[in-house]
Amino acid sequence: MNTVVAQLQRQFQDYLVSLYQQGFLDNQFTELRKLQDEGTPDFVAEVVSLFFDDCSKLINSMSRSLERPENVDFKQVDSGVHQLKGSSSSVGARRVKNVCISFKECCDVQNREGCLRCLQQVDYEYKMLKTKLQDLFNLEQQIVQAGGAIPQVNIN
Amino acid sequence: MTVEHDIEAMDQFPVGMRVLAVDDDQTCLRILETLLHRCQYHVTTTDKAQTALELLRENKNKFDLVISDVDMPDMDGFKLLERVGLEMDSPVIMLSAHSDPKYVMKGVKHGACDYMLKPVRIEELKNIWQHVVRKSKFKKMKSIVTNGESEGNSDQNGVRANRKRKDQSEEEDEDEEEEEEQERGNEKKPRVIWTRELHNKFLAAVDHVGVKNAVPKKILELMNVDNLTRENVGSHLQKFRLALKKINNEANMAAANSHFTQMSSLKGLGSFHHYRPTPLGSSQFHGGAATMRHYPSNRTFAGMFPHFKSSLPRNHNDGGYMLQGKPFPSLETLHITNNNNNKAFPSFTSPQSSPLVASSNHLVLEGHQQSSFPSFSPHLEINKRLEDWSNAVYSNNIPQSNVHSKPDALEWNMDTTKTTSFCRDTDFGSSNAAQADFLDPFQMKQQHENILDPMTVAELSRSSSADEGLFMGQQKLENNFMASDAGSLDDIVNSMMTQV
Repeated sequence: MNTVVAQLQRQFQDYLVSLYQQGFLDNQFTELRKLQDEGTPDFVAEVVSLFFDDCSKLINSMSRSLERPENVDFKQVDSGVHQLKGSSSSVGARRVKNVCISFKECCDVQNREGCLRCLQQVDYEYKMLKTKLQDLFNLEQQIVQAGGAIPQVNIN
Repeated sequence: MTVEHDIEAMDQFPVGMRVLAVDDDQTCLRILETLLHRCQYHVTTTDKAQTALELLRENKNKFDLVISDVDMPDMDGFKLLERVGLEMDSPVIMLSAHSDPKYVMKGVKHGACDYMLKPVRIEELKNIWQHVVRKSKFKKMKSIVTNGESEGNSDQNGVRANRKRKDQSEEEDEDEEEEEEQERGNEKKPRVIWTRELHNKFLAAVDHVGVKNAVPKKILELMNVDNLTRENVGSHLQKFRLALKKINNEANMAAANSHFTQMSSLKGLGSFHHYRPTPLGSSQFHGGAATMRHYPSNRTFAGMFPHFKSSLPRNHNDGGYMLQGKPFPSLETLHITNNNNNKAFPSFTSPQSSPLVASSNHLVLEGHQQSSFPSFSPHLEINKRLEDWSNAVYSNNIPQSNVHSKPDALEWNMDTTKTTSFCRDTDFGSSNAAQADFLDPFQMKQQHENILDPMTVAELSRSSSADEGLFMGQQKLENNFMASDAGSLDDIVNSMMTQV
């Protein structure tokens, strides 16, 4: 039992560290994890879930705005990018945030092609992160179910 | 916020500080809410600016602080910021993913207490309570100022408030002071002892309305003194008028003084022009003389010179009449300030000014003659006394006609209903001198009633800011003022006042 828990914990830790190392997550995610406690055990899961919802909605609306080449509402796109940037930076979704920076630049110069590419990339990145975090939460759940505690991971 | 709530909250502040968080991004809002909870604040969230406004309007004191995102679909965050500032005057912190300085600038211009960038860190949120404290402190100060005056709280408060606000518009001060006086002014109880302080107030009131228009009722109101009846004021006024006539006559005789030449050139003391009776205590004194406002009530023209040098004992302690121990603001200052706003009396610089002062006094006494100060002699004496005042300004001022006539002194006198020391009312400049003392010159002035139209006097005093100082100094001169010619004034004053 202990070994199982220890093993799971080890797995968890390694996985989390790799996410940081691969740039999926940054310090802000660490801060979110810190806010989670006994009183709010699902805090991080809740927040990232909200985030992914937002992503989905924003991407859809931006996609609609960029749809017709002759009639692109860059203002709306810009607003969407801005919001996405804000929320991604707040949860620590580093890669998503970085794409948003490029995305904004394309928007500023009204580069529809560029925007579409960025849009695609954002979509890819958020879905990727969603999968990764899902795996992480699953590991957490297993640890808890095995009677263990979620390890505090120190990211350098 | 109810008072009780305030008290409770303040006990543990910043724990329990009530924050309203507004952000259309649900992710950020959730994070913000948790962060704020972590800081032990009480949090209410909404994703709509409009809802936020409604919540705030529901009860203006419901929240201590508002944190709002800048980019929101239903209302621009800056607009919300403005509204909150106007309607509730709560501190608002802006939140945004935009780090562009122009947004930050916009936030500041619209009145934001702070501008934070997303992602917000908990460390930043831990300190936001400072904005609440800062703002409430500021509000308290403001309310002390206004409440103090309106409730007729200790004169000190009023005066202090006035002084504090001296940098603010004079008019405001004056208005408030007047208001204050009027509000408080109608208690009447018999009181027949005309102390210097009381006389100073009387003088201030007379200045304010103008000798010609002085009626007991108005004076009584302006004086705002308890236990004083209209009859008391009436009989005192009568005496005053007589004294003034006498003074004027004497002043005229004293004129020929070299010191006065300068004064004469002033032509009616251009500088003295217009003595505006402004309530005492208004910030007029500035020029550093703010403190001068309270002149020790004894002596000399209590009201005349608002800025008396500290030498005069201060009866009133509001705030600071500089007289005591404080140098008079330079005349220049006074002068200038006068121009600006009846500010404190210019500092009277020393001896030089004294003559001027004298002259101004004289003028004052003379009442308006704005043109010449015939009898300065008494003033001269006084001036000499005023030597210790640094009246450099004064001398400078004299020639300046722009001395704003509104003598600060007046204001000074007027507003300090409590400051007895200033008798600023009269242009004598000696504004605070104890009424008794003050009376003397004032009396002289009064005697020349025609000349000394209160306004004129005011002007005189104003212009001569130095005069004001001089008078102040005169106060210092314990009964010396107007030495030579003052004798008569002294008598007059003394007779009018109950020696205290």
